[in-house]
Amino acid sequence: MGSVNWGAHSTVSGKTLTNVRLYNDIMRTWRDMDDFEEFLDSGGVVEPNDAMPEPYRQAVFRFIELHANSEYMGGLTERDWIPKAPGLHRKLTALAKTQDEIGHAHLLYMVAADLGIKTREEMMVDLLEGRTHFHNVFHYRVHSWTDQIAVAYLVDAAALASQQAVFKNCSYGPYKRILRRVIAEEGFHMRNGEEMMLLMAYGSDTQHEMMQESIDRWWLPAVQLFGPDSRPDDELLRWHIKSERNEDLRDRYVQKFVPQLLACGFTIPDLGLEKDNNDGKWKISPIDWEPLKQTMRNGGPDSARRISDARNAWNNAEWVRDALTNQPAPT
Amino acid sequence: MTINQEALEEVRTAVAAVRDPEYPDLNIEQLGILEDVVADAAGIRVDLIPTILGCPALATIERDVLKAARAAGYEVIVQFCSSPGWTPDRISDDARKFLANEYTIAIRPRFGPTPCPVCGKTSLQDRSEVGPTLCRSVKWCPDCRNPIEVVRSRQGVNA
Repeated sequence: MGSVNWGAHSTVSGKTLTNVRLYNDIMRTWRDMDDFEEFLDSGGVVEPNDAMPEPYRQAVFRFIELHANSEYMGGLTERDWIPKAPGLHRKLTALAKTQDEIGHAHLLYMVAADLGIKTREEMMVDLLEGRTHFHNVFHYRVHSWTDQIAVAYLVDAAALASQQAVFKNCSYGPYKRILRRVIAEEGFHMRNGEEMMLLMAYGSDTQHEMMQESIDRWWLPAVQLFGPDSRPDDELLRWHIKSERNEDLRDRYVQKFVPQLLACGFTIPDLGLEKDNNDGKWKISPIDWEPLKQTMRNGGPDSARRISDARNAWNNAEWVRDALTNQPAPT
Repeated sequence: MTINQEALEEVRTAVAAVRDPEYPDLNIEQLGILEDVVADAAGIRVDLIPTILGCPALATIERDVLKAARAAGYEVIVQFCSSPGWTPDRISDDARKFLANEYTIAIRPRFGPTPCPVCGKTSLQDRSEVGPTLCRSVKWCPDCRNPIEVVRSRQGVNA
């Protein structure tokens, strides 16, 4: 594997970052963790040149790395559908969405690498060797075009909801800035997914049936995307990397999507689903989180193929990286 | 229906307010996508300049323009023009300010080097020719250490 100059600043973990010019010539420091947490609680935003506590740096890094990996794996899934999408317009959309996801991964990997814990290449190798993780929804096979629509409509919406919740109060400046743009673009994907879903919902019986099958396959993974209930001592919440509890996000998602799907004449694949007569809210069956944990350890139904596809994509593009690394200096 | 100046102005006002699908806070006039509203043999025609050929948002913009015109009481024809070419220079000053402050997206100024929208310094380094969308390239600001997206022109000239 040729060495690649990814450009993003790489430092060794733990070292003081003295070799960079400071943002507005200020490097903020904190007395201790209490002082730092007080800063975060009062809405403070941490910048790369600040002397942030090491556990915070690690937590932000892990969170952004997971997001970057997920965008990257999502981009590869989307790419698979460029040749298969029906019609020129859908192909254009699939192309643009692939560009979006890979572009988001590119920005996120830059910010993650800058935190000085792993270089970008190390992150890629860890992902392709199955040592790091990506979101549960990219561990399943996308069987049909309506599956792809279900991903765009149900899964992208869940991802968007969790990104919006992170953005709202995110304490790490560069990440928050990327999220602002990611959210705008994912909103466009969701609108597109909704439009395609409606087309199937009010199309022929066969189309409606196909869409229902895909909803049956993707409902649970989408609802699981938010993760199990947040622990009371969740450091991501305490450090304002996330701003809402997983169960609250999931509940809001259920309240929005159950009525939408029912209104389109679909059923929800959850026999225990019921409307609470007291508060009028939809309640879903309790979720067995064991399969999700297995999935997140790269042991999901399609994990092995997804990772090996990504590895092939990476290896097949080696000549491009080599060409970029060895290109003659501009004249 | 008679097409007079007043009708054209009403259509222009209505369609100028159409939001961009990827920057919902900005409208197509601020982004320089709306070129003109004219009368031709077939009726009222709205000329739009795509920021980039092959932009996937065009169908959405077209639909929204038709809807906005209809809401104002007019049926129009939408035409995407390949000339004049869109350049970042077409973005209005208030939209520039908004993109820099809200989205940290830089626009090449009409003169001089592009400042980082986060820290204002002008040492942006190239990272990739295109970013998440074809109309933006990716830079790195070594001063404030943020990845910065810069709106590029479709001629591919480095923004």
